[in-house]
Amino acid sequence: MIPALLKEALPSFAWAGEMNWRGEVFAGFVGAILVIPQGITFAYLAGLQPEYGLYGAIFVTLFTSILGGSSMMSGPNTAVAILIGSAVLPLAGRGSPVYIDYVFILCLMVGLVQLLFWLLRGARLFQYISPSAISGISAGAGFLIIMASLDSILNLSTFNTTFFYEKLYVILSDAENLVSPYSLAIGLVTILGGFVGRRYSHRYFLIVAVACGYAAGLLVSFIWPQPLTELEYLGRMPLEWLPLNMPTVNIEYLMTSIQLVPYAVTIAFIGLAQSLVIVRELKMTTDQAIDLDKEVYAQGMANFLAPFFSTFAGSGSFNRSKANRSLGASTPLSGIVAAGFVLLLITFLGPILTYMPMAAMAGTLFIVGLDMIKWSDVKHYAPEKTELATYLATFIGILFFGLATGIAIAVLLSVSVFLLRISQLELAEEPHKNGSLLKIKGSLFYASVAHLTEKFRRLRERDLTIDLQYTTHIDQSAVDFFSHEAQTMLEHDSRLTLIVNSKQRNFLVGLGLHNSVKLLSVTEAEVR
Amino acid sequence: MSHKPLRRIVISKVDTLPAINALFLLFALFAAVSSFAQTASPSIEQLVNEPFLDDYYSNVVLGYKIVNDTQHFASRYVGNGLNCKNCHLESGTKKDALPLNVAGMYPKWRAKNGKRNGIGLRIRECFIYSMDGIMPPDDAPEVLAIAAYVTFLSQGEVLGAEPEGRGVPTLPETGYDPNPANGRAVYMSQCASCHGEQGQGVGANPPVWGMDSYNRGAGMNRIREAAGFIWANMPLGQDRSLTHQQAFDVAAYLNLQYRPSDPRQSKFLKLLEDLLP
Repeated sequence: MIPALLKEALPSFAWAGEMNWRGEVFAGFVGAILVIPQGITFAYLAGLQPEYGLYGAIFVTLFTSILGGSSMMSGPNTAVAILIGSAVLPLAGRGSPVYIDYVFILCLMVGLVQLLFWLLRGARLFQYISPSAISGISAGAGFLIIMASLDSILNLSTFNTTFFYEKLYVILSDAENLVSPYSLAIGLVTILGGFVGRRYSHRYFLIVAVACGYAAGLLVSFIWPQPLTELEYLGRMPLEWLPLNMPTVNIEYLMTSIQLVPYAVTIAFIGLAQSLVIVRELKMTTDQAIDLDKEVYAQGMANFLAPFFSTFAGSGSFNRSKANRSLGASTPLSGIVAAGFVLLLITFLGPILTYMPMAAMAGTLFIVGLDMIKWSDVKHYAPEKTELATYLATFIGILFFGLATGIAIAVLLSVSVFLLRISQLELAEEPHKNGSLLKIKGSLFYASVAHLTEKFRRLRERDLTIDLQYTTHIDQSAVDFFSHEAQTMLEHDSRLTLIVNSKQRNFLVGLGLHNSVKLLSVTEAEVR
Repeated sequence: MSHKPLRRIVISKVDTLPAINALFLLFALFAAVSSFAQTASPSIEQLVNEPFLDDYYSNVVLGYKIVNDTQHFASRYVGNGLNCKNCHLESGTKKDALPLNVAGMYPKWRAKNGKRNGIGLRIRECFIYSMDGIMPPDDAPEVLAIAAYVTFLSQGEVLGAEPEGRGVPTLPETGYDPNPANGRAVYMSQCASCHGEQGQGVGANPPVWGMDSYNRGAGMNRIREAAGFIWANMPLGQDRSLTHQQAFDVAAYLNLQYRPSDPRQSKFLKLLEDLLP
């Protein structure tokens, strides 16, 4: 047990043998370019200074790639960042030192919860979240991103309202006082640049958008002085190559951060859910040797180590993993290379990024948010009523009650849909000698046995044969039910016969099946 | 019949004595604690050494750190080599050296930008003029922290009134125009040992001109303001040793030197200054 865990915990470089060096390095380079604007804007969503997001783009990506074994690109993630922001905001002001301390404590907790998932072999658990729920969460997060990006595009001071339409109403009703035309112009140029750029390059259009926004910002600052425009710039980032940090953990912080625990569990869950959806897809469509439990460990360990490198938790990124795959990367090397390129790029880009208007950053965020809400998703899930209901309920739940509640709704719905499905039995009724034959397909356990009672009440006047060959699982309550029914049927002078295979026979007898039930093996039944 | 209640009284007396003592002790403790809480607000040194602070006091401490080491704690918005405490001497507590205990005077109208200024806008303008940097947004953590520190320093001041020793003293007219040539002589003899012959600053002493100093939009770039500051505080430790005329002359000499341009004018020059290292 322990040696096996240790083997999983240590990085394996089995992938290093056969791989395409140039492809991996180029994919890593593109990944680095893609992650820089995302790191900055997700740090903003988490309520932190931009350098924390860039450190996340380096170190969370690096640790997940080294410890895991897949070509998934991890790093700063939208949903995780939004959840961190909404968890810590009640405790301290955005970006203040206490706020940062709480974020670090929260990330330690997230890492520990995810490592606990690993020890409990929890990777299986995430198969019960339906893809429609994941799409709903993604669409809801997209909507939240759009709402958050409005703050910077319109140059509002951050303000939060209970419901999103209140915020829209406030902005619209007092537009001439609240909205800064300079900031709005830069934001619109960025968004337009993104949409035009997308027509030419699907991969680099975000870079085009940022470049357009930056140029517009320079133009504005050339015509109007900053004291007049009050534009918000990114500013000089105090970047270090190795931003080591010791998170403050003392009794007072632990006492007050108890209320962060539910958020830590939610973040750990949603982070792993996203990572594992990506990894599972990679496992199914490529021939990478992927161990889901190892990926859980890699993500948990990366998040646990994040505070020690001045950054916050992350998870797998859908868009970057997709770009990575389309460039032909198939090993963790691309992630490791991406982390190195981020480090190099920000060292050289740092002085240029100083005058990056936040409106341009928010414009790219707006595009990313719009991309996450897809009409094709609705059409995709429309034929199946339950899937569509899960998708819509999750989306609307996030709209009105926030991301954490929305995720709870998604999990609840997909698990209950799953439970409803497996508790349903497929029953086929045929006439048989002097009575009837009932074929049961599905799993016979306490939730599904109840479905049988009505059938039995109608059929027990005459002999009844039950074919259990296609039943996947039988539990104690089913055995008790059969014993009880057999005794009732004896009173009606009829007999209950079960057609079982040898394994089921031993099992049923072991669970104490009443001897008035006649057991027939499959071969015997066929002979007769 | 008669001795029973008596006995009970005796017993109860014996029992309650320590209890009364304890109660009295508790009361005394409570009184001491509450009087302490009412009179003594914690000093900034106490706060800095505290392991855990609430949101307000942690912001006060961050504000204090920013004022003392702006280069490190507010590096995002700083464009030159100065720290707040270079002008707001002794972490903004020295009278006649632009003390920071002025939260009660804001919001107020200021001629500089022709609008009603909150303390936040005042702090943000410090960053763009005196620190020759970028104007932070009004909800930047740095701005909020400095505002918290200013509020902390202003405790006990009268709301709306000017605290004693606010800003710098206004020097009376001397009858002579400021003479930069004389100012240069005074600078070389009295100031150059700390601020450098090229005004570049020596050690912890701040640069007073050049691209690492305040820009043309700063308050210190006005001769009256600079002369008042120099007369009341310079040379450091020998306050008010210069004559009024000498202070005016030095201020005029400083103003003739090159320094970053005013961000409100010559925007193209400003852009070049900032983008080219």
